[in-house]
Amino acid sequence: MNLSKLFKPLLVGTALTIGLAGCAGTNQSESKGEEASKPEKQEVNIYTARHYEVDDEIYKKFTEDTGIKVNVVKGEAEELIDRIKREGESSVADLFVTVDGGVLANAKQNDILQPVTSDVINENVPENLRDTDNNWIGLATRARIIAYSKDRVTPEELSTYEDLTNEKWKEKLLVRSSTSLYNQSLLSSFIELNGEKQAEEWAQGIVNNFARQPDGGDRDQAKAIAAGIGDIAIMNTYYVGLLANSEDPEEVKVADSIGVFFPNQETTGTHVNISGIGLTKHSKNKDNAIKLIEYMTSVEAQEIIAAKNYEFPVNTNAAKPELLKSWGEFKMQELNFDSLGEHNQKAIEIFTKTGWK
Amino acid sequence: MKAELVKRNIKKEFNGWWMISLVGAVVILLPILFIFSSIFQEPNENWLQIQAYLLKNYVLNTFTLVALTGILTAFLGVTLAWLTAAYDFPLKRFFRWGLILPLTIPTYIAIYTYRTMLGYTGVVQATFRNHFDYRINPEWLTVSGIPGAVFIFSLFLYPYVFMITRAFLESQSTSYIESARLLGRKPLSVFFKVVLPLSRPAIVGGTVLVIYEVLGDYGVTSYLGIHTISTAIFQTWFRMYDVNSAMRLAAWLMVIIVGIFILERFLRQGRRYHLSNKSKPLAPVKLKGVSGVAAFLYCGVVFLIGFLIPLVQLIAWAILTFDKIWDASFLTLINQTVYVAVISTVIILILSVVVANITRSHSTFSFIVSKCVTTGYSIPGPIIAIGVLAIFIALDGVLAPVYSNMGLGEAPLILSLSLIMLIVGYFIRFMATGFNAVEIGFEKVGTKYMEASRMLGLGVTKTFFKVDLPLIKGSIISGFVLTFVEICKELPLALLLRPFNFETLATKTYQYANDEQIYEASIPSLLIIAISILSVVIIQMIGKRVKR
Repeated sequence: MNLSKLFKPLLVGTALTIGLAGCAGTNQSESKGEEASKPEKQEVNIYTARHYEVDDEIYKKFTEDTGIKVNVVKGEAEELIDRIKREGESSVADLFVTVDGGVLANAKQNDILQPVTSDVINENVPENLRDTDNNWIGLATRARIIAYSKDRVTPEELSTYEDLTNEKWKEKLLVRSSTSLYNQSLLSSFIELNGEKQAEEWAQGIVNNFARQPDGGDRDQAKAIAAGIGDIAIMNTYYVGLLANSEDPEEVKVADSIGVFFPNQETTGTHVNISGIGLTKHSKNKDNAIKLIEYMTSVEAQEIIAAKNYEFPVNTNAAKPELLKSWGEFKMQELNFDSLGEHNQKAIEIFTKTGWK
Repeated sequence: MKAELVKRNIKKEFNGWWMISLVGAVVILLPILFIFSSIFQEPNENWLQIQAYLLKNYVLNTFTLVALTGILTAFLGVTLAWLTAAYDFPLKRFFRWGLILPLTIPTYIAIYTYRTMLGYTGVVQATFRNHFDYRINPEWLTVSGIPGAVFIFSLFLYPYVFMITRAFLESQSTSYIESARLLGRKPLSVFFKVVLPLSRPAIVGGTVLVIYEVLGDYGVTSYLGIHTISTAIFQTWFRMYDVNSAMRLAAWLMVIIVGIFILERFLRQGRRYHLSNKSKPLAPVKLKGVSGVAAFLYCGVVFLIGFLIPLVQLIAWAILTFDKIWDASFLTLINQTVYVAVISTVIILILSVVVANITRSHSTFSFIVSKCVTTGYSIPGPIIAIGVLAIFIALDGVLAPVYSNMGLGEAPLILSLSLIMLIVGYFIRFMATGFNAVEIGFEKVGTKYMEASRMLGLGVTKTFFKVDLPLIKGSIISGFVLTFVEICKELPLALLLRPFNFETLATKTYQYANDEQIYEASIPSLLIIAISILSVVIIQMIGKRVKR
C-alpha cells in the first residue's frame, strides 16, 4: 500500500490551510536565511540526548571563543535518530550526541552519520574510543563497576562480572531493570566477547542471585547496599560521583559506605558506557561541526567534563579530578562498539527469556 | 432519496463554522490516521515474538492498573465529594477546594518525590536511623511496582472525579436527597440508594478521564519499570526500531480505549433521571462529635498525602539546591512555557467554541465531528508526537516548491522546525479538555435562547456573539484555565516536538529527574505546581462570581 499516494491529496489540502501559519514561519526563517548569508553569523545545530549542564557550558564557551552560535535540540536518543532519519536530506542537524555505545552504533547502522576527518580529533581521542570509521567520536566514558559494601565485603572477594553468578552472592546482588540501556550494552558486550550461550547463562546466574527484583535507577542500587538489602551492585561510576557530591549529607554518607571495584582487570577489562558525538550525513555546517568536535575533545573541554560530570575524559592529556583519581587507573573492555548495536536485539531477548525484569 | 436528504442537510448546515470545524478535525485526524495506516503492512518476526511471549503480560498489566486505579479514584472522589457537599464539619469550606489541589502536582513529579522521600536517604528513614537509632525495614516504605503506580495515580488524579461529582451533587440532586432524608432514610442508605445511582454519569465521566490519563501514561510506569502497552510501544518503537510492531501495539491500545468508551456510554445511559436546571443548592447537615472528627480526619489525611507532604518536601529540596541551580535562565523557561501554553490554549478554545456551537444540533454528523476532535485525549502523547512529526516533515516536502520560490533554498525544513509543530501537537492532545468545558457550558444554557434569536432573524454568527457568548463566558474561562494547566504539565510532546533552543519547565524537570538528580528537579517542578495552583485559584474565583 502506497502511503504517500493516499496522503498526498490530504497533505496538499492541509498545506494550503496551514498556509497562513506557514507564512508566519517562513518570515522568521527568511530573516534567519539572510543572517546565514553573512559570514559572521555562523551556526552549528546539535541534536543531543545528553542532558547535562556541563555540555551547555562547553557550547557556551565554544561560542565565546569562535563566534559560532550553537543551537540545541534535546531529546531521547532513539527519538532523535528517528527524527534525523525522517528529516532525510533536509535535516538541519549537524551533530548527534548521545550516551552509550549501543545507541551510537545504532545511529551508525541507521545511516544518519558520516565519517569525520580531522587530525586534531585523531590526536585528541585514542583510536579505541572512536568508531572504526570515525562515524562518531568518543566524548567521555563511565565505567560499569561493581559497588560493594565496605562493611560486609572486601575487594579481595571480587574479581569478574562472571564471578557475580557464583552461589556465594545469592540474594546479595543488586542491579537495575533490563530496560536500562546500560544493562543492554553490558550484556551485548558479553555476547560479543563470550558468545551467546555464555551470555545467556550469565544473565540467568545474575537473576538467580538477585537480592530483590530490579527497582529504581543506579543511585537506588547504591542506597540499597547502604540499607542492607544487598551487598554488591552493578552500577555506573558517574552515579557514585553524583552521590558523593550531593547536597544531601545522607547521600554523601551512602557514597562513603560503598567501595568501587573495577572487574575483569586480569581478563577482558571493565565495560564502559561511552558518550559520543557524530557528524550527521546531511550536515550543512560541516566545518563548524568539526570545529566543535575538536573543541569538545580538547584538553580544556575534557577537563571541564571530568571535573563537573564525574566522567572519565577521552583525551589522555586531560587532568582528572580527585574523586576519579582516587579510583585509580583501570583496563577497559576492548571491543568494536558496532557489536553493541548488533547484539542489542539479542540482549533484549535474553533478558526476556531469563526473567530479568 | 437518501442522497438528496444528505445533500439538503449539508446545504443547510454548511457555513463558515462548519469549515473551521472540519479543518480542525482534519488536523487532528491526519497524524493519527497516518500512524494507523501502517497496520496494513505484514506483521514481522518481532511482532510474532511479542505476540507469543509479551502481549498477554502488557495487556494484563495495563488492565490491572486501569481497574485498580479506576476503583480507587472513584472511591476517593465520590466519598470526598459526598462529604464536602452534604455535610458540615471542621474546615469543610477549605476542603471543598483544597481537595482539588493534588491535581496540580503532575504524576511524574509525584512518583519521584515519594520514592526519594521514602527511600533510604529520604527524610523518613534517615530521621529514624539518625535520631532514634531505629532502622525501618525499607520494604515497608517502597513505592514500587503496580501498587506504587496505583497509589500515585489514585491520590493525584482523584480530583477529576471529586470535582465533577461534587459540582453535580451540590447543584442538581437536592430534591432527591432532601426527599430521601425527609422520608427517614439513614445517611448510609441515602448514599447508596440515592446519591450513587443519581450521580453515576458524573462518577463515570470523571473516572473515564482518569483512566485515559493512566492509559496514556509514560512517566510513572516507565519510572517504576512496569510494562504496559504504552511503555511497550515506546520500547518497540525506539529501542527495537520496529515501527510496525509499535503500531500494532497502538492498535491494541485503541481497542481498549474504544472498549472503555462504549462501556462509558453504556454505564451513563443505563438510567436517566430528570434533573431540573433550577435545583436549589443542597443544604449541608452538621456532623457532630465523632463523625465530624472522622470526616475531618479523612479529608485531612487525603489532603496531606496528596498535596501538602509532597509540596513541603519539594520546597525543602528546592532550598537545598537553590544556590546551585537557580539562575536567570529559569525566567526564560517560565516565559517559554507560558508563551507556548497561551498560544495553544487560545487556539484550542476558539476551535472548541466553534465546534461546540455547531454540534449543539445533535445530529449524527455533528456527533461524529465532536468525537473526532476529542480523540486526541485518549491517545498517548508519544504516539501523537510521532504522527505530527511525520506529517510535518511530509508537509515541508509538499511545500518545497513554494519555499524555493520564496528563495529559501532547496527542500528546507521550515514547518517542522518551528514552534507550530509543538502547538499542533498540544492542539491534538488537549482539544478535548477545552471542548468538554465549552460543551458543558452550552448544555447548561440549552438551545432556547439561540433558537429564539435565530427565529427573530439573527444569523449563526451574530447569534453567537450577541446571545451565546455572554452566557457561556464562565465555561470558556474555566476551559481556558484547565487546558492551560494541562499544557504546562505536558511532557512527551514537548520533549519530542520542540524547536531548537526551546525548553519548558516540564522538559527541564524531566532532564534532571531522568538523570536521577531528584533534588535538582524540585525547582522546575515547584514552578509548574505554582502555575497550576494559581490557575485553580482563578477557577475558584470564577465559580464564586458565577454563583453570585
